[in-house]
Order: sequence, then C-alpha cells, then structure tokens
Amino acid sequence: MSKKEKVAKNSEEKIYEVGYHIISSVAEENIPAEVEKIKAYLAKEKAIIISEEAPKLRPLAYSIKKGFGGIYKTYDKAYFGFIKFELTEEGDVRNIDLAMKNNDSILRYIVIKTVRENTMYSPKITVFSDKDAKIKTNLKEDKVVKAEKTATIEEIDKSIDALVSEEI
Amino acid sequence: MKQCFFSQNNIKYVDYKDVELLKKFLNPHARMQGKKKTYVKARSQRQLSEAIKRARFMALLPFVAR
Repeated sequence: MSKKEKVAKNSEEKIYEVGYHIISSVAEENIPAEVEKIKAYLAKEKAIIISEEAPKLRPLAYSIKKGFGGIYKTYDKAYFGFIKFELTEEGDVRNIDLAMKNNDSILRYIVIKTVRENTMYSPKITVFSDKDAKIKTNLKEDKVVKAEKTATIEEIDKSIDALVSEEI
Repeated sequence: MKQCFFSQNNIKYVDYKDVELLKKFLNPHARMQGKKKTYVKARSQRQLSEAIKRARFMALLPFVAR
C-alpha cells in the first residue's frame, strides 16, 4: 500500500466520540434510559459503537448554569459518560450534534474526532505497581529483620548459658 | 536531558478525559505549562493544549484555580 492510499484510508475513517454530562436532578435509576436516548440518536445515523462508559456522578470543576424556559439552574455535579462510535458514509455527525443540543437532560456535551485505539493512558496502574513493589520490598526487609532477630535471641540465650555456667 | 513524556510512554493521542495525566502539565493556578517547561515534543504539545481546552469546556478541569 502506498503512502497516499494509507492517508486516504485514514481520512475516510469517520470515528467520533461523544462525551456528555447528564444533569444531576435525573434519578440514578433513569440514567440507563437517558443513555438509550443518546444511543437512539447514534442508531438513526447508523453508527457502530466501538466503546462506551456508563455515566458516573462526579463533581464539576466549576458550576454550570442551564436554562429551562427562562429559569436558570446551577449544577455542581453531573453524570459524565462517553460513547465512541464509527460512522458510515450515510451518517452525518451534525445531526447527532443537533439532537444532543436539543436534549434537555444533557447539561453539556462534546463531539470530537478520535482514533479507534484506546486513548486512555492509565497512570493509576503504574502507581499501584509502584506501591506493590514498595510493599514487597518492605516484606523482604521485615523477613531479613526477623531472621536477624531470631539469630540474635539464640545467640543471647547461648551467651547467657555460657555466663551462668561460668558463674557456677 | 529530559525526554518527551508522550514519546517515552508511547502515547500517540492525548485524550481530554485523562484528567490525571493532563493535571501533570498544569501549574497550581491551573494554567498550561509552556513547551520549555514540559519538555514535550511539538506535536504532543499541540495535542496536549487541545485536550486541556476540551477538558476545561467539559468542566473536568478548572479554567482558573486559587
């Protein structure tokens, strides 16, 4: 495959990701229904879902206002989730964008172009492994210390015995 | 000589959802660090700035802190 063909293939691939905040006033039981709504928008455009994460309640970095017919409400928490999907040639991402905009239970959303591979770099795993390594080294140290202690106790006993025998 | 963090860890795409990673490249006022401080290669620095701006818009990161 020549370089030009490769570039053309990549540019043809339409992989997007939609991240969204569902307002915190929606009860936790109704969250799957809201996700289904979003999936329905995607299904309308014949999108193939690659990966997704269920919305989880998390605090926002700053409070966000949302208007409901002239009344504004501020939110400090929201359910954040995302869906990564691929569009075929028939699908139009603008329709998905518009549908998300008109959904009242979505506080904020973002539609971005992305890559198929998993893009999350998880430093947590390395942190855990570091901790484990530390624990292991600590255990080793403990064992060494214990071994030394047992040796010393025996030695002490022997020396005491020796001393006692000398005194007698 | 410090090397590019993203090259070392083989990260080809900087994700806006990876808040813990992005926080490494912010100062205590939640402002982005420049390329002279981050030691990140030009391409990754551009991706990084885009990712931080997206994370700010989605309220995953603050615009200002303190």
